[in-house]
Amino acid sequence: MILIQRLLTCCFFAALALPVHAVPFQDEGGDAKKDEKQDDKKDDKKDDDKKPEDRWFAVVGGDVYTGTGAVLRGATVLSKNGKIEKIDFDVYMPPETKTLDATGYRVYPGLVAISSQGLLGNSGGDFEDTIDPFNSRMILGLATGITTTGSGSSAVKLKRFSVDDMVINDKIFSIFSWSNRSPRGKYDLREKFKNTSEYLRQYREWEKKVKDQKDLAEPSKKNVDGSCLSVLKGETTAKFVNNDADELLGIARLAQEFGFRPVIEGAQEAWTVADELGRAGARVILTPRDRRPKSELQAREGGTSIENAAILHRAGIPIAIVPSTEGVDLGGIAGRDIIHLPIEVGFAVRGGLPEQAALESITITPARIMGVSHRVGTLEVGKDCDLIVTDGDVLHYKSFVQYAVVDGKQVYDKERELFYAQIRPRPVAAEAKKVDKGETAPVKVDPAADAEKKDGEKKDDEGKDEEKKDDEKKDG
Amino acid sequence: MKHILLLALVSTFAASTAQADLLAIRVGRAETVAKGVIEHAVILVENGKIVTIGEDLPIERGIPILDRPEWIVVPGFVNCYSRLGCDSDGGDDMSPDVKASDELWPQAEEYAEIIKYGVTTLGLYPAGNGIPGQAVAVRTKAATKAEMILQDSVYLKVIMRADASAKKRVSDGFKKADEHAEKVKKAREKFDKDKEKKGAKKEEPKKEEKTDEKKSLQEPAVEDPKPDEKKDDKKDGFVPPAPDSKAKAFVDLREKSLSALVSINSAAEYLHWLDVLGKEDIKWDLRCVMSLDSDLFYVANKKEWDLDQDGIGDKKVHVVMEPRLTLTPGTMRSRNLAAEFSASGAKIVFIPRNDSVNDHKNWLANVGEIVGAGFKPESALHAMTLGGAEVMGVEARVGSLEKGKDANMVFLDGAPFEATTRIQAVMLDGKFVFGDVNQ
Repeated sequence: MILIQRLLTCCFFAALALPVHAVPFQDEGGDAKKDEKQDDKKDDKKDDDKKPEDRWFAVVGGDVYTGTGAVLRGATVLSKNGKIEKIDFDVYMPPETKTLDATGYRVYPGLVAISSQGLLGNSGGDFEDTIDPFNSRMILGLATGITTTGSGSSAVKLKRFSVDDMVINDKIFSIFSWSNRSPRGKYDLREKFKNTSEYLRQYREWEKKVKDQKDLAEPSKKNVDGSCLSVLKGETTAKFVNNDADELLGIARLAQEFGFRPVIEGAQEAWTVADELGRAGARVILTPRDRRPKSELQAREGGTSIENAAILHRAGIPIAIVPSTEGVDLGGIAGRDIIHLPIEVGFAVRGGLPEQAALESITITPARIMGVSHRVGTLEVGKDCDLIVTDGDVLHYKSFVQYAVVDGKQVYDKERELFYAQIRPRPVAAEAKKVDKGETAPVKVDPAADAEKKDGEKKDDEGKDEEKKDDEKKDG
Repeated sequence: MKHILLLALVSTFAASTAQADLLAIRVGRAETVAKGVIEHAVILVENGKIVTIGEDLPIERGIPILDRPEWIVVPGFVNCYSRLGCDSDGGDDMSPDVKASDELWPQAEEYAEIIKYGVTTLGLYPAGNGIPGQAVAVRTKAATKAEMILQDSVYLKVIMRADASAKKRVSDGFKKADEHAEKVKKAREKFDKDKEKKGAKKEEPKKEEKTDEKKSLQEPAVEDPKPDEKKDDKKDGFVPPAPDSKAKAFVDLREKSLSALVSINSAAEYLHWLDVLGKEDIKWDLRCVMSLDSDLFYVANKKEWDLDQDGIGDKKVHVVMEPRLTLTPGTMRSRNLAAEFSASGAKIVFIPRNDSVNDHKNWLANVGEIVGAGFKPESALHAMTLGGAEVMGVEARVGSLEKGKDANMVFLDGAPFEATTRIQAVMLDGKFVFGDVNQ
């Protein structure tokens, strides 16, 4: 039934050619279906396990930036079994609630990286079976603030200490190619869409008629392309990777003709055709620091612009931002890999993108593009409790993620992980013992002998100094 | 008193049978592993078994005595995870029916070497990845294959990796066991019907039995119906169909007549193993590969990192591992995973660092390093002896110095994990196989 309904509404929208309206439908449709599924699952579980105890978790005292535009200073985010139960002041918390004190810090929704590599382990698919929830790149991802990432055609949560329920959507994109270098390819793609949309129209008529004439034959699926069909039905999103203005215009026209909202990755010259893309309902994945010169043969505007994001935003185009390197890459061009996601967004702000839109470009917008905005992307009651606690504006280069929470469970603590613990440690943690439980304790040094040494050889290397400090603290 | 009585009894018996295989050993100390430490221990060995062991027992006249008050005796070492002396290659597929006992070669030179280093029991597993088959527990000195085997099918080796195919192999195995359970159920129904036709006399009590059985058969995955069935079988002569070779191992796992030794490299693989295991109730232990930057400390216990699942320690399983210190990933800070697992509740079982003769030679010293880094010496000795025996289910035969057990012993000239300690003699099944012992 759902399928038929969706089909009908989809065609309706296609006929109207008003793709702007089609978005809420596409997202809502997809979301509703998923929610049903989840509810079923939950019910099953309850029957099996005799209702496991509720898991309560709260982040208290922080300035809560919900991602919807609202800021609640000193509010509490309370979650039950991984879902946000309440965001408010003076919240009643059940006695068994685990709390995380975020006083003086900011609380943001967990960031959503629309694409990344390696954060989930070494595999590119089958995440339920291959995820490595302990790998160091996942920790680095969480340290960046990323709690959900797209990988291939899946949206997956960075859920540590567990291998269950981290995939939220595993069928996001249908990828098409559209290139000026291949006129034949463009023609073929248009034909595919044409045939498929013709088939859908016939199918819709057949569905109406078949109620009266039961022996009516179903329309033939000949020449129907599976990817095009799923796009036109609203099951997947059409994705293109293009940069040239001409190609972007071509995609915009194709999309308008067949009534779907394309996602365009790259989009370096999109700022020159922003109005057309906006009218076509396109959504864009871009990298503000991309650089390429304009073609010398071309009289009109072209090439990259740092204003790209800002101009597209003004044209009403939803923007998701990614750094130029999808993986964690500290060799070569450091600072442009996935662990610099918020820094990359900072460059869009420099180009004129409003800060709220900038935050959305790494939270709710990519979540919407991936069809998972009902679960992640903002802090709202009923959504997943995926959040980060930062010591400043999340887009500021100086800010660190202090804690990350996924599904109402703390999965990252800056002081506990290796990577940034030593940089501006939290006041409390600085006094705490640094050696963790499993590690063998450093050799104790006699303080008197130690002092003598210090006088003798002042040029100790850093490591030794640190050790000594630790020992002194211990002794004190 | 009991001991004395026994000694006397045995000795009179021995005297009459020309003192066949009788030997009394008097040493400075015996570390029995199972029953603590016995100072001034006297051990009486007859026909390859320990007849009695105790402190300062009087020895009947006429029994030959080996008197070494400066020695310390410990049980013969058990390495439960080895391929020494086996040279076949295995594939990547699933072959749970393969048995390592089919490729034994008692004359392999390696055995003669490692017995000098105190290793009296080996667990040999079949080669290959995936689920390569079942291991065998062997003596390290024997003339024939049959004599070599202590016990066959001691564990099923399962290699667990964080990928779909490894998980599928395990779930497929249990599916096959399900299919078999279904077959048994059908055969049972058919058998009962036939019986009803034949004899109308026994009809009434039969029916009751049948309903009971159906109840238990409804949940083949959770509770295996077979044990109950077997009792019935004897009564009414029902013979369940034999499982086919591939299903057999997994049927045995569910019956707990076979245990699984699951090899994992990383913390992720541990969680994936629990994931694929689901609600299956089988006996399993872990083989944890100690790579230098192992991240297994994340899953040592549930509490430390707030895991959703039970940690390795919470499961109280055996962990078969090399005596090796690791590093916290990305740092040069060392970790003693053996101590961490042990503190969390797991039972540590050490194996040599590599599966070579030379690593067997250094085994005691390498375990000594772990002890030096904070692992309890008594647990370490357990990990080299009884622990391995428990993994293989042969703890009633070997692994400790107790009455009735095989007389496998290692004689040392000092405390086991002292750097200066050397092995002076080794006894296997009551016979000295190494050392200069002129009584």
